Amino acid sequence: MPMKITNQIKDTTIIITLDGELDASSSVMLDEALSDPEIMTYSKILVDCENLNYISSAGLGVFISHLQRFEDAQIKLIFYNMQDKVRNVFEILGLDLLMTIVSDYEEAMTIADE
Amino acid sequence: MAKERKFFLPYMPTKSRASQMLSPIKLSTGYRFMLYRTNAKSLFVTAAIISWSLLLANVLLAAESLRQDSSNSLALPYVNNFLIVIFIVSVFGYQRLSAENLKGIDFISYLWNIFVKGGVAAYLSVALYMVYRIVVNYANVQSPLLLHMVYQVNFGLLVLFLAKAFYIWRQLLLYHKNKFLQIAWDWYEILLFATLLLTLLNFDYSSMIFLPLLVLIGLYTLFLSTNLKWVAYLTFNKKGRSLILLAAILLACYIFTDFFYNFVDSPELVIDYTDVGFLQLAMLFVGTYTLAAFLVALFSLPTSSVFEQKSEDLLNFQRLSQSIQQGQSEKQVYDMLFESTVKAADASAAWLEIFKGDKDVELCHQLTIEEEQIKRIRHLLLAYNIQNIDYINNNLDRNPGFRDLTLPWKSLIILPIKSKKHLFGVLYLLKDIEQGFDRETVNVLRTFTNQTILTIENLRLVHESLQNERYKEELKIASLVQDSLIPKNFPSDSWFEIATHAKAAKEVGGDFYDFLQLSESRIAIIIGDVSGKGISAAFHMAQMKGIFHGLMQQDMPPSEFMKQANSALSRCLEKTSFITSALYIIDYRMKGFMFARAGHCHTLYYNSMMEDTFYFQTDGLGLGIIRDKSYNNHVREMYYDYNPTDVMVIYTDGIVEARNKENDEYGEDRLRYMLTQTYHLEAEDIKCAIINDLEDFTGPTDNLYDDQTLLVIKFKPTQPSE
Repeated sequence: MPMKITNQIKDTTIIITLDGELDASSSVMLDEALSDPEIMTYSKILVDCENLNYISSAGLGVFISHLQRFEDAQIKLIFYNMQDKVRNVFEILGLDLLMTIVSDYEEAMTIADE
Repeated sequence: MAKERKFFLPYMPTKSRASQMLSPIKLSTGYRFMLYRTNAKSLFVTAAIISWSLLLANVLLAAESLRQDSSNSLALPYVNNFLIVIFIVSVFGYQRLSAENLKGIDFISYLWNIFVKGGVAAYLSVALYMVYRIVVNYANVQSPLLLHMVYQVNFGLLVLFLAKAFYIWRQLLLYHKNKFLQIAWDWYEILLFATLLLTLLNFDYSSMIFLPLLVLIGLYTLFLSTNLKWVAYLTFNKKGRSLILLAAILLACYIFTDFFYNFVDSPELVIDYTDVGFLQLAMLFVGTYTLAAFLVALFSLPTSSVFEQKSEDLLNFQRLSQSIQQGQSEKQVYDMLFESTVKAADASAAWLEIFKGDKDVELCHQLTIEEEQIKRIRHLLLAYNIQNIDYINNNLDRNPGFRDLTLPWKSLIILPIKSKKHLFGVLYLLKDIEQGFDRETVNVLRTFTNQTILTIENLRLVHESLQNERYKEELKIASLVQDSLIPKNFPSDSWFEIATHAKAAKEVGGDFYDFLQLSESRIAIIIGDVSGKGISAAFHMAQMKGIFHGLMQQDMPPSEFMKQANSALSRCLEKTSFITSALYIIDYRMKGFMFARAGHCHTLYYNSMMEDTFYFQTDGLGLGIIRDKSYNNHVREMYYDYNPTDVMVIYTDGIVEARNKENDEYGEDRLRYMLTQTYHLEAEDIKCAIINDLEDFTGPTDNLYDDQTLLVIKFKPTQPSE
């Protein structure tokens, strides 16, 4: 199942919707999307994980590799609507303590607006 | 003489040459043959010069005696005829050898050869005769000797011209020959040379007996003159040039014929070369063939563009299909397609779009059309919903949409370059006339696009298989490395038993485990999973093993190990790579174990005292995720006292994330359930039960999604060293 990545822009927030499985091949697409210099112009990056069914270590690696960059630029990276099994992968790796993972969009927006 | 004669036997030179080409052993023979050829050539030249000089002397002598005795006969007719025959044979023999050097399909150069080396002889002879006439008229003296001299020189020039033309025409006549034609020609040549015998024996060829034979030879000549295949290969321009050359050669024929027939039975001359039948026949052949070539070239002039186009299509087609062997890029193939189709359709404007990925369209070729116009046309096509499909419109003006665009073109064809699965690009051709794309043209264009699709697909396949090959090789090395990194046998001890399972996936790799005996009563066990695959994962595994053995020599607590390992890995891991790991130090004297988890799967545990199975829920961040000192806050250490018959299950995510056909994951819950059912068994049996259950779940599959590693450790009830 190929991965679909769509962007939606609201003011200074970019919402990235991940649809499908984030494996070794689709993580290249994600890396391209996150490497786009334009992304550094937003203050918040919201990642909608509602339809993210699977994340591989390569997919995690992409987020990890961009984490420091976003932090340095004071851009907030917030995941929401994450399925339990995907959340479990984040938790096992210890990423839930490094990244902001919230339950839904509203919560993501309020955190983002802080 | 015998030596020379040999050369007129058909096949002799060609046959011996062919056999030398076939066998390299006969190389020396080939060299000798070359020498023989050179020798033969010089021999011919010498013989020709000597015989011609003798002939001249003889003729002049006869002319002198004629002036004195007025008896119109040669002193030695047979000697004279003999000299004529030798001269003719020498010149023809020489030309036969030199004509064989002419090769290739540059037919204009053949004609040029005849004209320069043969035809000019005719103009020389005219000039010579003119000079003679001027001299005679001016000086007002009758000089039979001078006339004989001129006549004799012209004879030489005639033979030269005929020999040259004869053998060059032979080369052209036998172009694309078949066996029958070769034989027909050989006999013709033999027959012509046989007529020299008549001269030699002083027969009168014009007598009634030979007349039917002459008619036959004439028909034979006509038949041979129909072999003009080479003319078809001339382009329009070349036909024009060859017409001029052919006309010049025809003129030369006429000049010679006219000159010699003017002197037929002339009382002023002692000799009449029209008596030599061979020369007449040779002239007949040369003249007929030249005339035939002239007429055929002239009448095929209007159709030559068609043949040119066809042969060019064929050539382009060939280039397209050969581009794979020549290792050309896709771009070059598209270049060829564009060039060829524009030429084949004689399009007045064209453009080619190549699809990159699913959506991206690249305009890679443009011919006399503005980008603005392309945009408008595509817009219109989009409105009509006829994008990227086969479409021909031979009258754009009739369509209101196109009429509004006010384009200077009247016909449009759209040719998608599309295989069953993939759309590679779309070719648009435009012509400024109505009905510009007839069925014939469309067929040719389709053939071109089909061939392009085939070529592109093959190119991609070749590329892919090369990639695959390299990838496979890489995987082979990686799995070898991986295999060598994993310990083959664990220490078997009386106080615990351990069972291991490791199965490498074909694509994703990077699981590893290892152990180190720290002291008599303590053992360190590490398990890990490197992100990524192939060689890089294998290298990171090796690094991790090195770090494990290096650091654990100093015997440090697991959390300290993780901190130091993280710091060491931070410097060498790629940005997107990380390693999950868990380290256990079991101390059987203390009956406990210490462990730290770095992003690795939770440890499953069966506590026999509480009769409970659970996962150790501890925090711990993977290695290489945070690459500075702040990592130190993200790793926890835990100490646990074990009871005899407790079971610890250590595994990698390949186990819990294994999937069945419905895409469900095996999961931690099912793994835990399995342990509740099997904890009473021996470690090996627990492991087998879990793996069997896992295989039941996933179903039979050869291609694992991820490496699977499982370690089952069971603490034994009796610990004798106490």
